[in-house]
Amino acid sequence: MRALERHRKLTAIWASESGLKSWFSTVNHTDLGRMFLVTAFFFFIIGGLLAMLIRAQLATPQSAFAGPEIYNQIFTMHGTIMMFLFAIPTFEGLAIYLLPKILGTRDLAFPRLTAYGFWCYAFGGAMLLIAMVLGIAPDGGWFMYPPLSSSIYSPGINTDFWLIGITFVEISAIAAAVEITVSILKYRAPGMSLDKMPIFAWYALITALMILTGFPPLILGSVLLEVERAFGFPFFQVDLGGDSLLWQHLFWLFGHPEVYILFLPAAGVISTVLPVMCRTTILGYGWIVAAAVALAFLSFGLWVHHMFTTGIPHMGLAFLSAASTLVAVPTGVQIFAWIGTMWKGRPELRLPMLHLLGFFFTFVIGGLTGVMVAVVPFDWQAHDTAFITAHLHYVLFGGFVFPIFAGLYYWLPHVTGRRRFFRLGELAFALVFIGFHVTFLAMHWVGLLGQRRRIPTYAPEDGWTTINLISSVGSFVLAIGIGMILIDVVLHALTATRGRRNPWGAGTLEWAMTTPPPAYNFASLPQVSSREPLADDPDLAVRLAKGEGYLGKPRNGWRETLTVDIASGKPDMHVIYPANTRLPILMSAVTGVFFLSLLLKFYWTVPLAVAGVVFLAWKWVWILGRRDDLEALPVGLGVTLPNAAMTGRSPGWWGTVFLLTANATFFGSLLFGFAFLWTVAPGWPRRSGSLPRSLN
Amino acid sequence: MTDVLRILIAPLVWLAAFSAVYGLHGLICGHSIEGVVFGLPLQRVLLIAAYSFAVLLQVGLLVALYLPRFSSTSTFVRFVSHATGWAGLVATGWSLLPVIMTSYCV
Repeated sequence: MRALERHRKLTAIWASESGLKSWFSTVNHTDLGRMFLVTAFFFFIIGGLLAMLIRAQLATPQSAFAGPEIYNQIFTMHGTIMMFLFAIPTFEGLAIYLLPKILGTRDLAFPRLTAYGFWCYAFGGAMLLIAMVLGIAPDGGWFMYPPLSSSIYSPGINTDFWLIGITFVEISAIAAAVEITVSILKYRAPGMSLDKMPIFAWYALITALMILTGFPPLILGSVLLEVERAFGFPFFQVDLGGDSLLWQHLFWLFGHPEVYILFLPAAGVISTVLPVMCRTTILGYGWIVAAAVALAFLSFGLWVHHMFTTGIPHMGLAFLSAASTLVAVPTGVQIFAWIGTMWKGRPELRLPMLHLLGFFFTFVIGGLTGVMVAVVPFDWQAHDTAFITAHLHYVLFGGFVFPIFAGLYYWLPHVTGRRRFFRLGELAFALVFIGFHVTFLAMHWVGLLGQRRRIPTYAPEDGWTTINLISSVGSFVLAIGIGMILIDVVLHALTATRGRRNPWGAGTLEWAMTTPPPAYNFASLPQVSSREPLADDPDLAVRLAKGEGYLGKPRNGWRETLTVDIASGKPDMHVIYPANTRLPILMSAVTGVFFLSLLLKFYWTVPLAVAGVVFLAWKWVWILGRRDDLEALPVGLGVTLPNAAMTGRSPGWWGTVFLLTANATFFGSLLFGFAFLWTVAPGWPRRSGSLPRSLN
Repeated sequence: MTDVLRILIAPLVWLAAFSAVYGLHGLICGHSIEGVVFGLPLQRVLLIAAYSFAVLLQVGLLVALYLPRFSSTSTFVRFVSHATGWAGLVATGWSLLPVIMTSYCV
């Protein structure tokens, strides 16, 4: 079979539907990755506009730009959108787009789950946006502390939008995490043992495992708070017998790992892009993997450092302070590995590299102020001031946004198949870098002078006027820079000229295909013998297109790939994927009805929505059901493999294992909550005879 | 999967030990557990016992990760599991050190 004929046959099998219909029925990871990224950047623009409103409000003292009620909604939605609707989905989108390509396979483990996750994200995000447009957006701050968010002080629907909308969006994160974990462990090119995995895959694997164990405490907290608000059950409200600190524990059990859930994929981008920009290989691959694992675990032992001022005993403070200082060690290992990589290679100041340098400068400052606030006496002084706001922006913008921009420019030629024509990006980088540091260096300063975070205004005699004005001017420069980056990207996608394959001379597998990538990724799957297969064999792309790898002969209209043994990378199963379907969007819409029913208190529709989800789940598994057993099939290169559905350790089994891990964390958090209230809340558990108000 | 577990086990045990000692401290303070053992306050003895057990467990894990019987056949996994084993031991020793150095329930 000739390469062109193979391409046509594979395209016919793997392509999404044409036109607008494809948006609703595609299960292809390339489509869904792009949809995730575009949606996430749409939310980034909204969140950025809200940030501009915040800075407009604070530019002058006693500003009447926005009243306190609206201002509360603005800063709450800014934080919520940036954390839940931009940052996490950007990681998901990048991983969904990139992983099968970089791992040398044709799609993720569960294509329909990818689509279901996307639609849960889109619908959940839309709920929050609608609330904002209607002027009933959440207004209790992005960490929603009770008692402020309890029904006494927030009786409206605003808080419910946050609790229910975010829980809906988190289904998407859990779905993506299961998907990513199983895909990395099982869906790799034959020969890709653990030590030959691209470093980005290690980071994505660790991040996905962190999502599975980090998100359930917040989901639990949201469920408990909503149950308390709706039915009066006692969890956080002291007069009902609960304790508001339980929320802080549950929130930060999620919230601190969240920082690393954002940083680690960005570190994966850095570890991938930096060696290419320096024309060398990454220094200390094994050390970086070990440091990333250590960092992930340590991040779960830091949550109380957000609660140093809540009156926790000295020993408790000391545990968390010690762990907080320790986290600098694995972070330092990675930073030194990257510096060593630059030292070893010959760096070129191309546009992705500029953003990487922006990362180094910014993130190191954010890390150092992080060590400062890990020290309890300093934190007592700086807590809830603008210093903390500045610190978290240095960590998140430095540790996430700069690397993501580096990755954006690095993989843009892959997504579009074009090469940059306009040179807007360099100027945009300069504006972003200068604007960011003017904004947030000033914010450190005004924080140390005593300005609290989230205040809607201040008096002229406070002495903060000039610094706030400088900070606001800087933020508008930053916004112009980001706007120029987005314009640059759009111009590139629409007008730039065709580029050559692998413009950076990279060695990883995502460049061993035509760009923009075909729906099937690889015409045949490669056999891998090193971490940079393309560097070993520059003709690999041509050989794969000729069908010289695995599964080079399309058959029966099947979407086929194969899985490997986790450790050794030996091929072990043959997989047939499901085809395009509208089931995921339908199921997420019915899931949305469940959440909307809770939000609007139409409780009679809740069982209907549950029944709908159960029915669609049954349909979900049924349409793949075969009536005959498949025998072992040849997959090319003289290898014959059993079909995954005929084995005891199918991808579905692995997916269930990791979903149960998330469930175990959820119930573990529930036990923690029980032990916490039993220990610290004298009025809990409620005595018999005093039922929640809903049951009286 | 065994190789992945070898890499994760020591930090996982640290996380469990950290949570357990933090929780033990909370229980001791919240439920007013009191007494004297070997001339030392019971609270301190319990915390130090938990700390010592956690450190010993980490030492045991590290030794096991170096033993041919339990270590991986892959050089890479052996290296990373040794590194995370040391990370688990150091993290346990450092982050729980306050049970010796700091006042409790204050």
